[in-house]
Amino acid sequence: MMGVDVNKLGISIGGKSIVRDVNVHIGDGERVGLIGSSGSGKSMISKAMLGLLPINAQTEGSVILGDTQVVGADETVLAGLRGRYVGAVFQNPASSLNPVLTVGKQIELPLKLHYDLDKADRQARVSAMLEKVGLDATVAKKYPSELSGGQQQRVGIATALITSPRLIIADEPTTALDSITQRQIVDLLVSLVDKAGASMLFITHDFSVLARATTRCYVLDGGRIVESGNTADLLEHPQGEQTKKLVAAARELTLQRKQNRDD
Amino acid sequence: MRFVIRRFLLFVAALLAISVVIFAALRILPGDVASVMAGLNAPPERVAQLRSQMGLDRPLTVQYFSWMGGLLHGDFGTSLLTGRSISSTVAMRASVTFPLIVLGLVVALAIGLTLGVVSTLSTHAAVRSVFHFVAIVGGAIPALWGGLLLILLFGRGTGLLGILPSQGFPEAGWDNFGSALTSLVLPALTVGIIDGASLMRYTRSALGEVMNSGYMDQAMACGYTRRQAALKVGLRLATPQLVSVVGLMFAGMITGVMVIENLFALPGIGAGLVTDLGNRDLIAVQSELFMLAAFFLFVGFLVDLLHRFLDPRLKHAVQGGAQ
Amino acid sequence: MTRNNEHSASETVRTNNAPANMGTKASSKFTVVLRSIWRRGEGKFALIVLALWLAVSLLSLVWTPKSLWATDGYHVWAKPSAAHWLGTDGTGADVFSWLMAGARTNLFIAVLAVVFAGALGILLMSAMVSRSSALSNVSVVAVDALISIPTVLIALILAVPMGASVVVIIIACGIGYGLNLARIARPQALLAANSDYVASALSYGASGFSVIWHHILPNAMPTIMVQLSLSAGTAVLAESGLTYLGVGVPSGVPSWGHSLATSVKFINVYPLTVLWPGLIVTIVVVALNVFGDVLRDVIDPVTNPELREV
Repeated sequence: MMGVDVNKLGISIGGKSIVRDVNVHIGDGERVGLIGSSGSGKSMISKAMLGLLPINAQTEGSVILGDTQVVGADETVLAGLRGRYVGAVFQNPASSLNPVLTVGKQIELPLKLHYDLDKADRQARVSAMLEKVGLDATVAKKYPSELSGGQQQRVGIATALITSPRLIIADEPTTALDSITQRQIVDLLVSLVDKAGASMLFITHDFSVLARATTRCYVLDGGRIVESGNTADLLEHPQGEQTKKLVAAARELTLQRKQNRDD
Repeated sequence: MRFVIRRFLLFVAALLAISVVIFAALRILPGDVASVMAGLNAPPERVAQLRSQMGLDRPLTVQYFSWMGGLLHGDFGTSLLTGRSISSTVAMRASVTFPLIVLGLVVALAIGLTLGVVSTLSTHAAVRSVFHFVAIVGGAIPALWGGLLLILLFGRGTGLLGILPSQGFPEAGWDNFGSALTSLVLPALTVGIIDGASLMRYTRSALGEVMNSGYMDQAMACGYTRRQAALKVGLRLATPQLVSVVGLMFAGMITGVMVIENLFALPGIGAGLVTDLGNRDLIAVQSELFMLAAFFLFVGFLVDLLHRFLDPRLKHAVQGGAQ
Repeated sequence: MTRNNEHSASETVRTNNAPANMGTKASSKFTVVLRSIWRRGEGKFALIVLALWLAVSLLSLVWTPKSLWATDGYHVWAKPSAAHWLGTDGTGADVFSWLMAGARTNLFIAVLAVVFAGALGILLMSAMVSRSSALSNVSVVAVDALISIPTVLIALILAVPMGASVVVIIIACGIGYGLNLARIARPQALLAANSDYVASALSYGASGFSVIWHHILPNAMPTIMVQLSLSAGTAVLAESGLTYLGVGVPSGVPSWGHSLATSVKFINVYPLTVLWPGLIVTIVVVALNVFGDVLRDVIDPVTNPELREV
């Protein structure tokens, strides 16, 4: 099991402060959200947790995954965590899945890097994983550019989950998708994470997505946590200014979607 | 496959166009080829003799098609000055120029790719600035000057170290392998260092762009370290762009190669072309220009094919667009 | 004509400049860009070198330390001295004076090559984004194929009928860099050509020429300017190569390539004299490349907030 403790995290790039004094806790098997408008620094927090911050970034405070301190950790230690104990799903699969690898090779990569399995074993696991994310086995031979956006994100999820990591960091995994596909992808992610008993940090700017994906959440504004609590409660009774804005935006969006469906 | 055929047809069309341009360039000479070749004060009989010898008294279209027909059979004509077949002269010169280009390219790739990758991956700002400086200055050196500096440093006779030959190519050619190879070292270094510096800049920008992309995050999220991701994924993703750059660089290299052949007195295609041009041996010049043009058009064709083969996104993008 | 001062930052980024803004705004934009370049260390270096180049070129029209044609019969191979600052060149001509006079020939060549390349490049770029699919296909295909023909080959072909001439360098560089420019500026131009803005302009009956002038060109201009300043550096390098090969600047005309080619003769006499012409070419080309690189950063309203205010 792997919990996450982020303590007084601060990130600055080129002397410009991006994130300040952020405290986030994720318990074992818990699905926690991080919500904020664009530019609020939420992606930087996820990058800090994965050790993927740009080289000119300055970090203070601590990020503890399980019992490993990530801030200031050696690159090989971080690489040993990534893809093994921590899986990541990114915003736009079209610009993150390696375009020159076939889908099968892409999903297989974390297994190859972390486990000493023979080829047949790895391929069997990839096929099983493809089935779990609802993709046909023939997809394994295709390139990402031959798939639809929703299919690509299923590949992204399969890549993140192939090694059964203890923690999934999903950074706006549905933003690049249309609303119907968004819901399918969120539901798929939630069911797979729960089945595996893993924890998840779900990052988004969309409250309606967040309500489906998480039980508890933190609201981020201008690089600081401004509110936190039960997702459903916050959606019902937003307190802070920023939270109210985000909730209002989500309601508007939901309304539009309903209208679109009625049309 | 349709792309290959289309691109090949384009290659052939460009080849025909350039042949017409070269042919025309030699026919709009003030006076005509024959009188230019015969020189000032030549008796008119000599000019007339040359004209019929070169077939210039035939209609232009006949001249053009007989030239092209010859080219198709590998017959490049006969030099009127030396009386030797142009194809055999060109083949001899190519045996100097191509090894020079290949060696130069090897040096350029070794310098440009290695330093480009090192400077992109370096975490020290100072190291990156030094490499940036080297790349900018190196790419701005005129080939002639670079060659002179290397001669002053290493050239036998004049150089400070005096360890390498700086003039000529062995009479026996590649039969005298060691001597032939050493005579190409300084020329290849000159061409390679200058183009390597430019390539270093392109490598930095191409790899730098990929390093900031989501592909790197995904690769590292799978368990690569930053360095592994750069070498295993970054370089591969920057390759299509670099292939295009190297292709264009290759065309640019020929300027340097021609200068360097002249400076180092190497009997190559570039130096030969300049000599023929100086001697007004225009039949030879016409075929040599065409051969060089054909060669570079062919390289352009290969580069485009390779570029496409290396990036599956291009193929599917076009298929998607055709729907 | 109306001046629209209410352009918001984001509108300026899309640079759909109204035609009336081009006059006065262009000049203030120019000063902002120059000032932004000056503020960078390497930009300062580039501007100083380029200004010196211009100054020396102008000065050489009225004054050089020695006349170009005055040969010092007693000192055909003079070392650098008070009388001949950089020595003499083997015929007794003063090297420093020839380098000064060479500055103006190279400036002339670089400017004209860039103007020619710019004109050709813009023409081809416009053809490539033309609404007539026949024209755009043909021009894309032609540019793709011809771009692999090296500049030096174009120069050699031209030199057959024309002989060694400044015009050969200018046309050869103009064609080569023009093709390059068209290819590099095409994506920007295509983006503008497919924009809603252009669609609406066309629906109001704007002509193809007006669309290119008012919408496509302003959008592609930053890319074009950067590419042209890099091309100017390549033109200086090309001059030295082509002149040495005997198809560039004819003998008797001062140019850096000419001085460099002459210096080859020095190599056994005063090896250090070889340094000067090459050093000048290298510094000027570095300055032009640095200028292009800095220009790329400061000409973009996204990275240079000051541009949004004019």
